[in-house]
Amino acid sequence: MAKESMMTGCRAAAEGAKAAEVEVICSYPIRPYTAIMMELAKMVANGELNAEFIHGEGEHAQVSVVLGASAAGARAYTGSSGVGVTYAMEVYSPMAGGRYPVQMSIADRTLDPPGDFGSEHTDAMSTRDQGWLLGWAATPQEVYDNTLMSYRIGEDHRVMLPQMVCQDGYFISHIPDKVTIGEVSQVKEFLPPYRPIHPLSLTNPVSHGPQIRPDQGAPMDAMRAQTFLAVPKVIEEATADFARIFGRKYDPFVEQYKLEDAEIAFFIMGAHSNTARTAVDKLRKEGVKAGMARLRWVRPWPTHQLAEALGHVKAVGVIETSTSYGSAMRGGNLIHELRASLYDLDDRPLVTSFMGGLGGETIWPADFDYMAGVLTKMVKEKRTDRYVYWLGM
Amino acid sequence: MAKALPGYGTIDVPKDRVVPFGAVTPAPVGTQPLFQTSNWRVVRPVRDDEKCTRCLQCYMACPDACWVYKAEGETLEWVGDFCKGCQVCIAQCPEEGALVAVPELDFEGGVVRLEKPF
Repeated sequence: MAKESMMTGCRAAAEGAKAAEVEVICSYPIRPYTAIMMELAKMVANGELNAEFIHGEGEHAQVSVVLGASAAGARAYTGSSGVGVTYAMEVYSPMAGGRYPVQMSIADRTLDPPGDFGSEHTDAMSTRDQGWLLGWAATPQEVYDNTLMSYRIGEDHRVMLPQMVCQDGYFISHIPDKVTIGEVSQVKEFLPPYRPIHPLSLTNPVSHGPQIRPDQGAPMDAMRAQTFLAVPKVIEEATADFARIFGRKYDPFVEQYKLEDAEIAFFIMGAHSNTARTAVDKLRKEGVKAGMARLRWVRPWPTHQLAEALGHVKAVGVIETSTSYGSAMRGGNLIHELRASLYDLDDRPLVTSFMGGLGGETIWPADFDYMAGVLTKMVKEKRTDRYVYWLGM
Repeated sequence: MAKALPGYGTIDVPKDRVVPFGAVTPAPVGTQPLFQTSNWRVVRPVRDDEKCTRCLQCYMACPDACWVYKAEGETLEWVGDFCKGCQVCIAQCPEEGALVAVPELDFEGGVVRLEKPF
């Protein structure tokens, strides 16, 4: 019988990696993700997990080490937070281009300067164009589940791509919640062993990462884009199989909460969605037809699924927990892609955005009341007054 | 939904332009033709067999393994498809005039003369 216990998001990520029987782990400390490595180091020391545990000399080294491990045929695992994520930036594109399905677990932290350590999605969001699969969890349970699902999706031969499994720092990484750890037999059924396509080998020597010519660059990019067209189906299959084996059902791309008859909706991802759900319930009691759409994957972006889920809503408030200074809407990143996803609808919703949860601040229930007020006013006046509002400012 | 939204279409990479998966190729690179890297070379090292002492400094120094020592005949063979003309071998060569840089334009098949790179 699978057992339930209280644990943090970091512990849940480590439990997921242990269940996946990762073979090579590369660590470098930075809070808050560092607790994942502390947990894994204990598991290796106690003999619970048979893995090579390597201390990198920085995040660039961490990601490079797991690239090599994956090239050699190992299931490899690493992670980081905040400026650690950006320090490794160079290695992300060769990882995706070389088709190494490693996993990097991110507990979000603000970027410097100055050295704030609170949660904010800007760290992992800034890697979104590097060709990785990129998804966010909203509970420690989902961290564990996404760890297994992401390996399964990334290692599928139709995909073969690295994955970032993201969770909000502190709000999820350090607050214990109920987590059910799967049985070994369930994990075995769900996640087959990693089968590399062209591993480094003494008997069949291959070159990884060679120089290619300019005329080979475009077809290579096109082939990677082709892969991303195939990924959604693999995500759907894996999510359905996960529900069948573990009994926990997720919408593959967008959690839809009370959206059917909603007039206003919050579009959000990560930890603050838990407050959003409560806020929706409260607003409903007050007679406001509110709903919530929670994004589970940023890459691949679920364009059609979002149009389907939010197309009928009158006004959508995008809650941005990341920054994109000077961008089209002068706020975060999600609003651009959501607006683009809704653009071709005949009768599209009004869309604005709210900058919240930056620098590790909490988005309070009162903030949701304020946002609902803005959205209701938009519906009444049938116009978007501003692209962006800064909560509390 | 009121109307069908646009899709992503399909991407058809012409067969003759398909790149190996993940750009993984049989090793070593020096013996396979898929990723030749010499098409920006402007000079090439030319070896004088009389002056060369077979000290193998060039063989050691080349970052792309473009000097191959042939034990039979005790000679060195240059791998033109991968030499980028960086001249590290010339800088390392201790024998005056044993290795010199010659402009690609001086050769009939010099890479700077090619209409299409390879």
